[in-house]
Amino acid sequence: MIESISDLYSPISAGILLGGLYAVVALGFSLIFGVMKLINVAHGDFAILGSYLAFAALTGLDLDPFLSLFIIIPIMLVIGFLIQKYLLNRAMAVSMDAPVIICIGISLILQNIFQIIWSPLSRGLTTSYSLESYNIGGVTIPLVYFLDLIVALIVMLMLRYLLRRTYLGKAIVAASQDRRAALLMGINNNQVYAYAFAIAMACAAIGGVLIGLTFPFAPTSGMSFLIIAFGVVILGGLGSMVGTLIGGIVFGLAQTLGGFLFGIAAQMFVAYVMVLVILGIRPQGIFGR
Amino acid sequence: MGLSIPRIGIGKLIFFVVILMLAVLPFTGIPQQWLLYLFLYFVYLAMANMWNLLAGYSGLLCLCPAAFIGLSGYALILGTWVGIPIYLGILIGGIVSALFALLISIPVFRLVGVYFAIGTLVVPEALKYLFFMWRPIGGALHGGGAGYMVKGEFAIDLAYSYWAAFIVGTVSIILIHVILKSTLGLGLAGIRDNDGTAASSGVNVFKLKLYVFIIAAFIIGLAGGVFYFFQGHIEPTSAFNIRWLMTSLLGTVIGGISIKEGPIVGTVIVVILHFLLSRYAGISLLIQGVLLVVIISLAPEGIIGFLHKTQIYQSLLKRTNIKMGDSQYSA
Amino acid sequence: MKYSMSKVNGEINESMSEGTFLKVNHIDVFYGSLQVLWDMSLNVNPGEIVALIGSNSSGKSTLLNTISGLLRPSNGNIQFGGKNIESLNPFQIVALGICQVPEGRRIFPDMTVLDNLLIGSYNRGARPKRGRNLKNVYEHFPILGMRKNQMAHTLSGGEQQMLAIGRGLMAEPKIMLLDEMSLGLAPIVLDELYKTLREIRQKGITILFVEQNVKRSLKEADRAYIIKSGRIVLSGTAAKLREEDEIKKAYFGV
Repeated sequence: MIESISDLYSPISAGILLGGLYAVVALGFSLIFGVMKLINVAHGDFAILGSYLAFAALTGLDLDPFLSLFIIIPIMLVIGFLIQKYLLNRAMAVSMDAPVIICIGISLILQNIFQIIWSPLSRGLTTSYSLESYNIGGVTIPLVYFLDLIVALIVMLMLRYLLRRTYLGKAIVAASQDRRAALLMGINNNQVYAYAFAIAMACAAIGGVLIGLTFPFAPTSGMSFLIIAFGVVILGGLGSMVGTLIGGIVFGLAQTLGGFLFGIAAQMFVAYVMVLVILGIRPQGIFGR
Repeated sequence: MGLSIPRIGIGKLIFFVVILMLAVLPFTGIPQQWLLYLFLYFVYLAMANMWNLLAGYSGLLCLCPAAFIGLSGYALILGTWVGIPIYLGILIGGIVSALFALLISIPVFRLVGVYFAIGTLVVPEALKYLFFMWRPIGGALHGGGAGYMVKGEFAIDLAYSYWAAFIVGTVSIILIHVILKSTLGLGLAGIRDNDGTAASSGVNVFKLKLYVFIIAAFIIGLAGGVFYFFQGHIEPTSAFNIRWLMTSLLGTVIGGISIKEGPIVGTVIVVILHFLLSRYAGISLLIQGVLLVVIISLAPEGIIGFLHKTQIYQSLLKRTNIKMGDSQYSA
Repeated sequence: MKYSMSKVNGEINESMSEGTFLKVNHIDVFYGSLQVLWDMSLNVNPGEIVALIGSNSSGKSTLLNTISGLLRPSNGNIQFGGKNIESLNPFQIVALGICQVPEGRRIFPDMTVLDNLLIGSYNRGARPKRGRNLKNVYEHFPILGMRKNQMAHTLSGGEQQMLAIGRGLMAEPKIMLLDEMSLGLAPIVLDELYKTLREIRQKGITILFVEQNVKRSLKEADRAYIIKSGRIVLSGTAAKLREEDEIKKAYFGV
């Protein structure tokens, strides 16, 4: 199977670059989980929503996916804000499980909307550059993989700036560390949660565009990305950008190497097993506290 | 001198009468379609009851019923290829599920709250991919894919399937009653809301959760086995599908989580929906999703809960500063 | 035994307006179906330092949390500057100028000292003044200035309490509520903190603090209320209460 170690260069470099994609998808998930202790089971589906919206913009308006982000991001911000404000905030007051159940419902709703509008067929975002690849040191890497990593770094830097230098960002961080104290600071927690969810949705949308450029996607693709996002977050630890990136890279590598060594079907299986193993050993993550 | 009649509550009496009537149903000239509804009802009921036991009474938000169902179905159908008689296969399916639950309990119970939810969410997905890759027995392929058919010529009379489902469903109801009244049930009441306090008062939390988990897995496995007994073929995507979670979830939520009668009432609605919407395959799940969101948002206590609520809570409403899990104002 | 309230004769800063008058009127507070405060009333006048003294689980924290809007009274009302505030949200109450320094400090452990202070100025009224207030806080507590880029959890107990108080000051409060400031702190540190409270009061901020230690509290306060099992059992000027030493000893076995 492996003739020489140089056979591995391709999957390894691909895996590292892919890590950026997974990190972006995981960022939004991490934000919601960190701030509101909420597992957004529909997070993967929201990312795929971004993919489908980009697809619609591409096929309907002939708009490049990255340009369509200017439309998609505001839409996702609003959707996210409304969902948290009117659905999830109330659910959080009802019980611990209610928000998770709502997210399950939303997941189902999204998947079926995708199916109804765009059929169960796989789709992809094919642009003029989506098939280009570069040859570096004898290894061929698709251009989009580089884009994944670059965009990931940009998004992470922007998010970091937001969280560290703005009042809203600090409020989000504060609310995630001590809810009651945040209230006593004059922070309107519910409002902050809504903004955090909105931001998370925007990240998901960006992730979705990257997904669409990198993989074929279908109505049910969301689940896989949810599980990987979760794995990345617990591996990298909540609240650590570097950890999230590293986690993304680890999962990227696991996928590409797993696929290379054991076949396509093994890709997801390897990732899932990793998540279970990590959960079993150290649920708070390698970088987490 | 009169006869002394043993005191049985009216509720139990009605229960026995209804059970009797349902048991003899196939002998009456009832249309097959109705029998099918009821068959599905009992299958879903058993699953919903067990889901309620886990999520509503034990604080285990279990998102993996599909794992038990799929495994049980595979055990049943693959069993027919290795000579296991099909009725025994149902039982074996249940046992396989229970063993699997035991296997994953060790890592999975170390996870609390939301981690548990996601952990259990991953399991059926992983199994799905496993069965895509793994063909344990070379046998007749169903549609050329990764599926299997029951071996041999089998024309299962719907009546037999119905009875099997009926038994499993009824057992699930009785089991819930028995468990909740037992010491196990008392222990559960303690851990449901707060593991920590229960543990410090000497309750072996892990053991309790394990028992419930295994029992639930067994019954869910039986129900799954019954279903595939009737259907006769299986393949990974539908076996480990999230739909299994949805029916249990919806059935329990509509009726009322943490309420014994909740799944009984809720599953009725689920089955009605199932057949009402079977024509609109794509929309059916969409509507279920919407329904789930709407009910949890507007009436989280479900139908039965709503009925309870109208009497008791009105007076307490003014005085209380706590709603269940009021996270905004608690530490 | 109850002593009627005599006129306040502590120092009142003349520039204080009516707007900082806090009045709790006969509130009952339940936690679930359990009643924790019974028919509780108290007043805080502008520029005063008032102590609320009671042992553990006497309900003192509950009272502060009710004033801060974390809990709702089921009867009675709370007025601030003549306006009813008992059904407002916590963030609205902070915006009005009531700021709590919570029990156990509750600083944000994984944020820097500076960020902790800045978040104190979150409410709209306080944001434009943050530069000035920050300087203020560093004057009161120079050590915070020295440690401003350190993570808050690396601070000692006393420093964390200073941070918590500083954070409260950043909110431009008209009245500060302090919940068991002295918990776990050495007397020398406490002296510093009480000195700071006096300085804060000089600047025009009213103070209501909650404590277990009767003696120390009466030394620092103008007036005091004694709370026991959710009820006010004694109140009056600190001077008068100090004289009633015997009675307090009987009550508390201190």
